[in-house]
Amino acid sequence: MRTRAEANRQRWAILGVAAAVLVLSFVLLKSAYYQLVLTQVLLWAVLSLAWNILCGYSGYFSFGHAGFWGLGAYTVALGMMYFDLSPWISIPFCALVGAAAGAIIGYPTFRLRGHYFALAMLAYPLATLYVFQWLGYQELTLPMKREAPLLYMQFEDPRGYVVLALGLLVVALLISLKVENSRFGMSLMAIKQNEPAAEAAGINTWRWKMLALMLSGALAAVAGGLYAVILLVVTPETVFGMLVSAQALILALFGGVGSLWGPVIGAVVLVPLAEGLNAELGDVLPGIQGVVYGVAIIAIILLAPEGVYWRVLDRFSKRAPAAEPPSQMPARATNIAPLPRAPVSTGADLLVLRDIGISFGGLRALDGIDLTLPEGGLYGIIGPNGAGKTTLFNVINGFLASDSGAITFAGEAITGLRPNQVCRRGVGRTFQVVRAFPRMSVLENVIVGAFIRAPTDAVARDMALAALDRVGLADQAEKIAGGLTTRELRLMELARALVPHPRLMLLDETLAGLGHDDLGGILGVIRQLRADGITVLIIEHTMHAMVQLVDHFTVLDHGRLIATGRPQDVVRDSRVIEAYLGKKWSDRVAVPAK
Amino acid sequence: MQNSPTRRSVTAGLALGAVSLPALRVGTASAQAKSVKIAMIAPLSGPWARQGQLLRQGADMAVEEFNSQGGIKSLGGAKLEIIYADAGDNTEKAKNAAQRLLSDHPDLVGGSGAWLSSFTLAVTEVTERAQLPWLTLSYSDAITNRGFKFVFQTSPTAEWQAAETLPTALKLAEHATGKRPKTIGVIQDNTASPVSFGKHLREGGGLEKVGLKATVDQIFTPPLSDATPLVDKLRSAKPDFLLLLTSAMPDCKLVLEKLDEFKLAKGKMPLVGNGAPFGSPELLNTIGPELLEGMLFSVANWPLKGQEEFIERFKKRTGEPFATQDALCGYGDVAILKEALEAAGAADKLKVAEAIRQMNLTTGPAAQFFPGPIKFDEKGRRQDVPMIFAQWQKGVPLTVFPEDRALAKPFWPSV
Repeated sequence: MRTRAEANRQRWAILGVAAAVLVLSFVLLKSAYYQLVLTQVLLWAVLSLAWNILCGYSGYFSFGHAGFWGLGAYTVALGMMYFDLSPWISIPFCALVGAAAGAIIGYPTFRLRGHYFALAMLAYPLATLYVFQWLGYQELTLPMKREAPLLYMQFEDPRGYVVLALGLLVVALLISLKVENSRFGMSLMAIKQNEPAAEAAGINTWRWKMLALMLSGALAAVAGGLYAVILLVVTPETVFGMLVSAQALILALFGGVGSLWGPVIGAVVLVPLAEGLNAELGDVLPGIQGVVYGVAIIAIILLAPEGVYWRVLDRFSKRAPAAEPPSQMPARATNIAPLPRAPVSTGADLLVLRDIGISFGGLRALDGIDLTLPEGGLYGIIGPNGAGKTTLFNVINGFLASDSGAITFAGEAITGLRPNQVCRRGVGRTFQVVRAFPRMSVLENVIVGAFIRAPTDAVARDMALAALDRVGLADQAEKIAGGLTTRELRLMELARALVPHPRLMLLDETLAGLGHDDLGGILGVIRQLRADGITVLIIEHTMHAMVQLVDHFTVLDHGRLIATGRPQDVVRDSRVIEAYLGKKWSDRVAVPAK
Repeated sequence: MQNSPTRRSVTAGLALGAVSLPALRVGTASAQAKSVKIAMIAPLSGPWARQGQLLRQGADMAVEEFNSQGGIKSLGGAKLEIIYADAGDNTEKAKNAAQRLLSDHPDLVGGSGAWLSSFTLAVTEVTERAQLPWLTLSYSDAITNRGFKFVFQTSPTAEWQAAETLPTALKLAEHATGKRPKTIGVIQDNTASPVSFGKHLREGGGLEKVGLKATVDQIFTPPLSDATPLVDKLRSAKPDFLLLLTSAMPDCKLVLEKLDEFKLAKGKMPLVGNGAPFGSPELLNTIGPELLEGMLFSVANWPLKGQEEFIERFKKRTGEPFATQDALCGYGDVAILKEALEAAGAADKLKVAEAIRQMNLTTGPAAQFFPGPIKFDEKGRRQDVPMIFAQWQKGVPLTVFPEDRALAKPFWPSV
């Protein structure tokens, strides 16, 4: 998330670019041809920005933005042909069409991830292409309006189109900027870097992804509508074809995915390059232009794999995190501030599991688990590898749906809720392998967790700072998460789970992989959680640490709950010893006990 | 699609390297002191490159021949200079090419081409605004339905061809066999031109008017993966002849081979098509003369009686096995522009346009290259144009109708 000053700088940059385009168009470029190419640069930049809103920020790649572009183009063309609708009306209407298409496409498609999502998106424009062919719209022309050309967006002067396309580009840039600087963009970036972590941190990933696709579709459709007005001929192949989707993707990849200026850079360089090659080589050695264009793209991608924008940024600013911590945040590694919260009535049952069972194929991962956690304690779950501990957590926080049983949290049934909904009800969790957002700063990582409680982004920031302070990471706030040590990552994840003030914390092997010196600090933080009245359920292998830490032990083995009770009793239970060490050891322990 | 010349030139280009490119450009752009500029926009790269190349070959040949014969006489022997632009593989590129030509060469007096209808539609939006007279062989009715004043369509429009193809085919059948076919099978893809053709037959009453009953009527989306279901229907329904409207060669090949497999080819079921692709050398190369023998197709322009010398010159010059619509129209369009310049007596696009509007040619090089007189109506469509039919006979598609300009006699394959 950018600071306000940075956002302002970006706004000035957008205005500057707009002014430069106007100067270029009205003062420098005399020929209608260059005006046409300039218009195309602007329009393709808008499409690529639209693509970037979904794909650049959330990481969900779409090979199918031609779908939106084409729907926009056909909306304008059909509106004008059959309803005499002026593009002044139909182009804004394209936004609705695009958003609706986004919603319809997103609903089934967001069940998929990664390459599967990208490929499914590819199918939509290709299928739509055939639908429009079948409908008999193989070749539409926008009628020339001789009486009232301006009323139908038909300008004698090509600069009219430059101004329109520029206006659209400015709008697209401002929308992108707004997205980047809000919880919308932060949530998308969190989804991109680690979707389960984002979901567990309370982000409604489904909603943000849908919104991104709808916004992206709306922008792409509006650009497609304007494209129809400029080209005046609409055929399914030109607007739904692979080339359009590829163009959106290539421009952004070339310029820099996930950046505000990347798509613009891509369009400014590649569109005139392609056209220049067509002009210079098309009539001399037809076909060679495609080869040169391809080679140019390959060369630049090799030199700047993340795109030109990021490459240049790296060169000039090193993109290093701010080395000095902000001065207003004194480092207080040991002094843990109390959590502001209402006093809890300890003793009432906070989490109740009844008969939880889940199978993966033939494997019974959890079987008839009954567990009751009264509020306010520190509970441990132990068990050998594969006992079902993490699976149990995944069932509680909604990553997995159990085959049977019911979960009640604070008197409310939470069975079958999505992770973000469980999080909203006050269940925080950390992961066995830390799920950080590695390219975001520590502070941003924690801010993501604060959104569910923070009414504004500023409040989220303050809450995140406070949480970092509590775990003793305040001095690392500006560091990029990718560069943290294991201990710092664990603490950061704790802070992220802590920031919305949960009632129950699920800690999955938080102590794993830590040295003896690091252990102390984290144990302190965990004890402090209990002191603040947060109920803690912790999974751990390290029996030694657990015995020191928890009030109450539950032991799982092969998906069954085999023992529960006070730590000192449980470690003597022969079934527990057998589970951990084998029958031989349990016998040996049992004999002296007699 | 075949476009080996393009591929060859690409390879050649890579071998030559970038150094020689400027030299090549200078070669084409060497302007003469007294020359008149005309333009041609054609798909020189991409899937339609082959057709664009043929168009260009025809135009090149025309410019060379007219210049060697003394140029434009009414302009003191001024030479023609033709500027080419690549329409590429999509409408945007085609429109850019037109805009670029007009910006770079404000002194153009006329132009021709674009080939694919949607390209032509986009290109003529630009040329119309610049008041540049533009000739095109594209079929789509939309091109001359927009009230444009500077666009001239040398081909009969698609709707007209749809209306004329069947009656003419029936006439040929009746003339040859003494029997009038009663039933027809229609197999078509759903691309722009077959769709508008098919629409005329079904919704426009084209079938009823000629008293034909469609016993098979199938539309498919290219590319066709297997023609068995289509041809199987033909086998059981046994229509008197088959109207095949495909736009891609592989689909056409699949259908013909399947017909052969089902023992319906080689005249068992007479075949009628529409459009120049049915007479292309590529079709001959991929399908072979046997399966094509007897296939009739209607087309806007095809080598005619009176062009024998030209055909020989063309074959010698290009190495093509025969001339086709594209090369003929490339040559013919340049000839029309030349005649218009002669009549206008000035290198002025408005005067050239007016000369084309006034034109009524029945003799001379321009008239020789098109069936019927060179005479345009208000919309820019040619008047009194006969439907041309060509037929594959021993590996060459020969014009068989109209009789006065036919190069061979038609036969109706009989079962």
